[in-house]
Amino acid sequence: MPEILSNLHCPEQFHRQLDELNADGKVLFAVVGDLTLERRYGESMVCFGEKELWAFNESGTEHFDYSEIKEAESKRMYGNASFAVITHDGKRHKLIRFTYAAASPSDAAADFLNGVIEHGYSRELLYAVENTFRRMRAFCPKCGRKLPTPDSDCLNCKGKSKMVSKFSQYALPYKKGLIICLLLSAITTAAALVPPIITQKMVDIVLPNRDKTMLYQMILILLGVYVVQYVITAFRSYLLRRTGDKIVIALKKDIYEKAQYLPLSFYDKTSTGRVINIINSDTSTIQNFVLKISQEAIVQLFTLVGILIIMLRLNWKLTLFSLVPIPIVVFIGRAFGKQVGPMYLRILRRASSLSGLLTDTIPGVRIIKAFTTEESAINKFDRYCDDWMNEENGIAKMSAIFPAIMTFLVTCGSLIIWFSGGSFIISGSEDFSVGLLVSFVSYASMFYNPVNFFANFGDSYRNTLASAENILEILDAEPEHDFGKNSIPEKIEGKIEFRNVNFSFDRSKKVLSNINLTIEPGDVVGIVGTTGSGKSTLINLIMRYYDDYDGDIFVDGKNLRDIDMQYYRNQIGYVQQEPMMFKDTIFNNIAYGAPNAHVEQIIRAADIANAHGFICRLPDGYDTLLGERGIGLSGGEKQRISIARAVMKNPSILILDEATAAVDSETESLIQQAIERLINGRTTLMIAHRLSTLRKANKIVVVDKGEIIECGTPEELLAMKGKYYKLVEIQSMGEQLQKRKAEEQFE
Amino acid sequence: MIHYIDGPEIMITENDGIFVDAKFYETGETLYELEPRRLFPKSGGNRYVVLLDSEGEQVAVIRNTENLLPESREVIERALDEYYLIPRITKFIKMTDKFRVWMWTAETDHGTLTFEVRNHISTVKPLYDGRVLIKDANDNRYEVPDYRKLDKRSIRMLRPKL
Repeated sequence: MPEILSNLHCPEQFHRQLDELNADGKVLFAVVGDLTLERRYGESMVCFGEKELWAFNESGTEHFDYSEIKEAESKRMYGNASFAVITHDGKRHKLIRFTYAAASPSDAAADFLNGVIEHGYSRELLYAVENTFRRMRAFCPKCGRKLPTPDSDCLNCKGKSKMVSKFSQYALPYKKGLIICLLLSAITTAAALVPPIITQKMVDIVLPNRDKTMLYQMILILLGVYVVQYVITAFRSYLLRRTGDKIVIALKKDIYEKAQYLPLSFYDKTSTGRVINIINSDTSTIQNFVLKISQEAIVQLFTLVGILIIMLRLNWKLTLFSLVPIPIVVFIGRAFGKQVGPMYLRILRRASSLSGLLTDTIPGVRIIKAFTTEESAINKFDRYCDDWMNEENGIAKMSAIFPAIMTFLVTCGSLIIWFSGGSFIISGSEDFSVGLLVSFVSYASMFYNPVNFFANFGDSYRNTLASAENILEILDAEPEHDFGKNSIPEKIEGKIEFRNVNFSFDRSKKVLSNINLTIEPGDVVGIVGTTGSGKSTLINLIMRYYDDYDGDIFVDGKNLRDIDMQYYRNQIGYVQQEPMMFKDTIFNNIAYGAPNAHVEQIIRAADIANAHGFICRLPDGYDTLLGERGIGLSGGEKQRISIARAVMKNPSILILDEATAAVDSETESLIQQAIERLINGRTTLMIAHRLSTLRKANKIVVVDKGEIIECGTPEELLAMKGKYYKLVEIQSMGEQLQKRKAEEQFE
Repeated sequence: MIHYIDGPEIMITENDGIFVDAKFYETGETLYELEPRRLFPKSGGNRYVVLLDSEGEQVAVIRNTENLLPESREVIERALDEYYLIPRITKFIKMTDKFRVWMWTAETDHGTLTFEVRNHISTVKPLYDGRVLIKDANDNRYEVPDYRKLDKRSIRMLRPKL
């Protein structure tokens, strides 16, 4: 059976039915649903041809000729969606149901069908569907998992390399330092094994024979061993700390770098507090673990083997006795790991909630004060702390009980040695001396240290695993795809075309529907519409903040996804409603995108932006240090600095997102002047609520509920007497009213 | 101004699936093809249900569907059930977990399914009453009504993610 273009594998029974209907060859594509019409998980399918469609669901097969259909409807509901056709008699025929997994192909199919009904079948209509399906059919060839984009790496397969080896690559550049530390550790470990031998000799030979010369020799040897041991330990600690710092900094740098290139969709779903927490705290956990693995684990292993060999050489019977508690220690260690692992995951979740709350409330302290919600903020913080405490309590209990049990078992081990060794001596065993017993007890206590270490290792491993998972969430996250890297056009003229663009942040609600729009170079386009109509989303797509839209956007005839992203964004000047200021001088804030700019270029940019005047009046002028998010400047002043920043960029495309929304009339006029100087000769897109700010616009686009409902010159739209006309009417009435009130008050 | 409906001042009749018709006794007006939507789909159940017209504009808000006439209540609740699909998970069968990409297989009141969960911290939300809200990689929603009442194996699988 030939394969049909579809979002999921075509269910075989439907394929057979299609064959029986002799329709197989006529099918262009199919939408496969994962719910029955009764909303049980199951299968359903609609197949689309050039002139007809076939639907298969649990009630049977339906066939419609397109001439019978008035309209196709892809309806997103809550947690599910449906595809229906409305026939000329006004009857709605629900054909299939599906979860959001099939929502995009269903939308594309509805656009296709409506297009065919309106204009007849064309290859372009099918191309739009194929484009959506191509993106849907991105599966990993190895494991079959769905990929975010067709050419992206599969996280699942990429992650198969062990987590430890992934993080050990951060230690590799510092292997020289780590090897030196390891060698030094070997020396100190070997030195630590010497004192018990000396003790044995003292007890068995020196003291019974009252040999003073040998006593001095032994003391000198001990002194030498201690000096070597502690000097080397001090040096090793310093070296280890430095190496550890280098590792953690390398890791932090990588995460931060990766965080810069993550798409906005990542930040839509992950709180910034969580990202900060990962960079600050999880990296330190990894640092400790890498050091533990690369140093302590090896040292402890050396110690374990070394002591075991010495003990076996001293007395193999006693050695076997002393190993009795080991299986119990290992068993309890594993049981503890299983218990405590999930606890660490939960505690990380609580810690992440806490830092998220702090990131929200501390910068938002002004709002909290303004609404006098200090108490509720404190209560919420208390609750989060309590949740954290509850989890922490569980771990604290386990962490207290476990070492106590371990230590007890270790002590039992030494009791066994005392018991059996003591019995040997009392019974007069010839190959056993008091000195041997004393040194054996010393070795046994040293032997249990590494045993304890490895038994506890699971605990720190689990803790690290949780942190590592958090870090990998960023390191392995899908970055913004720059498919067109290095594809740099000579110049961006500024022609922008949207073709059949559909977009949703998540699949539950379509934010933009079937957007078709052409903007010519040098056009000044006003984008108007009510709040939440999709204006800013339209801009976000032009900014290429989101790539996962259906349809295509072309800039100067080239697909936006195929243009080098960095180059493209550099050609755009963006002035936001609430401009982002950094905690730096005014000069550096203006020079943000052009760090090597000449001082006079900055002053010129500030002058064009009508910012130079107020900067001159500041005591520190351009050196004025702004607080966080530009504290110290008014809204209008920040806006003008933001415009100056855009001037510095000399962009081909200029985007102004409600640039004058939050300022008074006088400041608005200053900003307006600045904008008018800036837009000259550039393709400009202006989002504005105040329609008066659009007086330079030669084209108006009215967006409503995610669709373009009107598009044309201001005169054309006014003549149409549609939505734009209504908005103008409402605003001019409001302005007149305000003017009258102001006059009355003046009188 | 919001037009609140408290009880029997409205008669709701079936239209088509998720759509209903409403007759307002006070004005005698009948509106067709209205779409009922929950204002609080996660926390409010059938309290505060808004009726939207074909333009998506609100017509009225029903404070509680329980206070409607029995026939009206039945119609509107059926339409709401039709619109909202939040499968209730009754049992977790399998959770494979690899680098924060989880494939969960669960039994729900709508059948058994396997879905993908990414980044449990933002997509698995435990509430204080024991409810757990889950959003999969395709933005589909699921609900565990009270995770404490699941079988022991399911709890063992879910608890570390809460």
